[in-house]
Amino acid sequence: MTAKKLGLKQRYAHMTRGLDWETSYQPMDKVFPYDTFEGIKIKDWSAWEDPFRLTMDAYWKFQAEKERKLYAVIDAFAQNNGQTGVTDGRYANVLKLFLTGISPEEYQAHRGFAYAGRHLRGVGPRVAAQMQSLDELRHIQTQIHTISHYNKYFDGLAEFPHMHDRVWYLSVPKSFFDDARSAGPFEFMIAIGFAFEYVLTNLLFVPFMSGAAYNGDMSTVTFGFSAQSDESRHMTLGIEVIKFLLEQHPDNLPIVQKWVDKWFWRGHRVLGLVAMMMDYMLPKPVMSWKEAWEIYFTEAGGALFQDLARYGLRPPKYADIATAEAEHISHQNWAIFYQYTHAAAFHTWLPDAKHMDWLSEKYPNTFDKYYRPRFEMWGQMAKEGKRFYNMALPQLCQTCQIPMGYTEPGDPTTICFRKTQFRGETYHFCSDGCKDIFEAEPEKFAQAWLPVHQIFQGNCGGATIPDVLNYYRMNVGADNMDYVGSPDEKLWNEWQADKIRTAV
Amino acid sequence: MSAHQLTIEPLGEEIEVAEGQTILDACLRAGVYLPHACGHGLCGTCKTQVLDGEIDHGEASSFALMDFERDEGFVLACTATIKSDVTIEADVEEDPDARKISVRDFVGEVVALENLTGDVKGVRLALRDGPIDFQAGQYVNLLLPGIAASRAFSIANAPSDAGHVELQIRRVPGGAATGYVHESLKVGDRLTLTGPQGRFIVRKSRGGPLLFLAGGTGVSSPRSMILDLLEEGYAEPITLVHGVRTQADLYGREEFEALARSHMNFRYAPALSHEPDDSEWRGERGFVHDVARKLFEGVFEGSTAYLCGPPPMIEACIATLMQGRLFEKHIFTERFFTAKDCAEKPKSPVFRRL
Repeated sequence: MTAKKLGLKQRYAHMTRGLDWETSYQPMDKVFPYDTFEGIKIKDWSAWEDPFRLTMDAYWKFQAEKERKLYAVIDAFAQNNGQTGVTDGRYANVLKLFLTGISPEEYQAHRGFAYAGRHLRGVGPRVAAQMQSLDELRHIQTQIHTISHYNKYFDGLAEFPHMHDRVWYLSVPKSFFDDARSAGPFEFMIAIGFAFEYVLTNLLFVPFMSGAAYNGDMSTVTFGFSAQSDESRHMTLGIEVIKFLLEQHPDNLPIVQKWVDKWFWRGHRVLGLVAMMMDYMLPKPVMSWKEAWEIYFTEAGGALFQDLARYGLRPPKYADIATAEAEHISHQNWAIFYQYTHAAAFHTWLPDAKHMDWLSEKYPNTFDKYYRPRFEMWGQMAKEGKRFYNMALPQLCQTCQIPMGYTEPGDPTTICFRKTQFRGETYHFCSDGCKDIFEAEPEKFAQAWLPVHQIFQGNCGGATIPDVLNYYRMNVGADNMDYVGSPDEKLWNEWQADKIRTAV
Repeated sequence: MSAHQLTIEPLGEEIEVAEGQTILDACLRAGVYLPHACGHGLCGTCKTQVLDGEIDHGEASSFALMDFERDEGFVLACTATIKSDVTIEADVEEDPDARKISVRDFVGEVVALENLTGDVKGVRLALRDGPIDFQAGQYVNLLLPGIAASRAFSIANAPSDAGHVELQIRRVPGGAATGYVHESLKVGDRLTLTGPQGRFIVRKSRGGPLLFLAGGTGVSSPRSMILDLLEEGYAEPITLVHGVRTQADLYGREEFEALARSHMNFRYAPALSHEPDDSEWRGERGFVHDVARKLFEGVFEGSTAYLCGPPPMIEACIATLMQGRLFEKHIFTERFFTAKDCAEKPKSPVFRRL
């Protein structure tokens, strides 16, 4: 009689068991020094269920084939001058925002998962975190390669890593990941693995990738497809992590709840950049931010938190405020970038009449009432040669580092200010969510590197705006300011003229 | 429209798949959970190995299902359709307690009818063409005269009484099939039934204390399971909480009380949710989950729970059990996937079976 065939799970267990061991000449607590201080209690690491059963051998094979396919598309895109076939020259600004604000966070995620993959004691989560670490490294590489083609033609892309580390608004995503990476390994897994890669990932990923598809950027779309099969693995890891922590010990629930509250709010703030991209920067919009929020957070997140309620976990604190803000956040963010266009690494513009009608239709409760009048006034001012620039440096929120331009919940004509005292100093916040986060860990957030404070302290190249822009390596007049009249626009118009000539 | 047979290894389960129906859809409807996420061929979560037969990959993304994987016989279950009889190997765990019993048709003669309550009828069928081999907790599909589709009812008797099938059928207001049973069915009538079906069985190999939470006629499977366990001499603690609205809705009490007297390890707790406050009822009051929480002081760790009843009761019990540290691996429920379930609002992937 032949031996009974093993199931997939058993086969995987046989292939991977014994890859870990109890250390003998050093105590385990010294080898894994960081997996206890957060208060998370793990009774049985072996209860971890591998959410995907992928061996390293299969992983390499899989990723290698994906690379070959992606690079074939990127090459074809370059050879066919795909950059001339996108909907409008303005589209390149979406890529600038992505490359300066998102791609470096893929690298941060790579570093963070490498840390979790080193410091979690259980072999199952460690292997999963290590694989995700490699995925994230691959993602930033493929993003750089995909977008590098646009760098041959458009401004604002060349200095992306440098800018990420210095430019004021890029400190928003950067400080988000710095916060996660300087936390313990469990908090990192909840922050990035669960809150970001599961709860909020579709709000980041889908807008950029569908935006690319709608606007003729096939190379970025292909990158998106090549990443999506990794993303699904990351999502299952995020779910497994939260289940594992909640099932291991009842004392973990309040800790996990605190992290879910914190990282939901922090993630929601970072995604304000995506909201603005969706509503204002795509020449051909896919859907509004509000619609995306309804589908991906209200509905999908609602189903998720309904299931997690069985563990006693409640939906993130201030989720209701975030949902109400979906009516406002993109308009308020674009207004901030418009008035600080001289310090942004991408171009800005006012929505034209057709685009404003689209916004009216998508935001019937807020756009005409609060935001259209402002954009129309700025349009009028520009026509009169008085284009509005805000030359004062904004106050930043101590937690999310966004300029304090957001309004009170339920009152869109009053700016929201919150403050608190810590060690004799006053700290300022854009919202109750950000204030709560500070107050839970004031020692950490009091150390935040706030770009405006740093400028005033003389740490950013000098006392004048040109000094600071030089420190940012911003090529004034090319990387920043209005799209209209920019070298990008001139180039785009030449391409269009060429096309017409060729057609004739 | 031709249908093909899909065999799911390692379960050995065989299901019918319609032309154009995806493998994932067919499996979910048959109650076989396959991991899945995006549902349209992009993410690769539902990757499955085909061992035999012809398939069509459908819209599987070339980034989610690589060429080398296609060569090795992998498919994405969410987009693949089958072109012949097909065998797949799915990422499902083999259940050491599930026996492979082939389903067949039986003819049962009604030998007893009993009004268990005002709206629950006990139907005892004697099988005229040989006994039925089944595991306690399984159900049969019953064909009734003049009713086109069969209806599923759990078997309430122990497997040792293999010559009979006992059903407890609540009258569904306006229901054609249950209406027939309550109004027209007579002793001596012959009915066709198909079975045994379902995977709601006791995982005896796990051992440990058992908790049965039943609502209304949901007690029929637990009755079969408990009779079976006690006959076998299962020595670990067994608790049954049976929830109904009022005393008038409670049935089976004398039998369970007698079992509790004769078996030290069996505890029986009928729970009434809508019994008038001033009645003489001295037993438990409240919903099943509340009574269970009280009996166990909120801690269920170490038990295995079997839940059978209407969806709101199941949902409340799951939350109570989980907050009492009993998780998915140790909770079993009777669950059928219907077309309606699949079309429902977005579901999260937190739980597989529950």
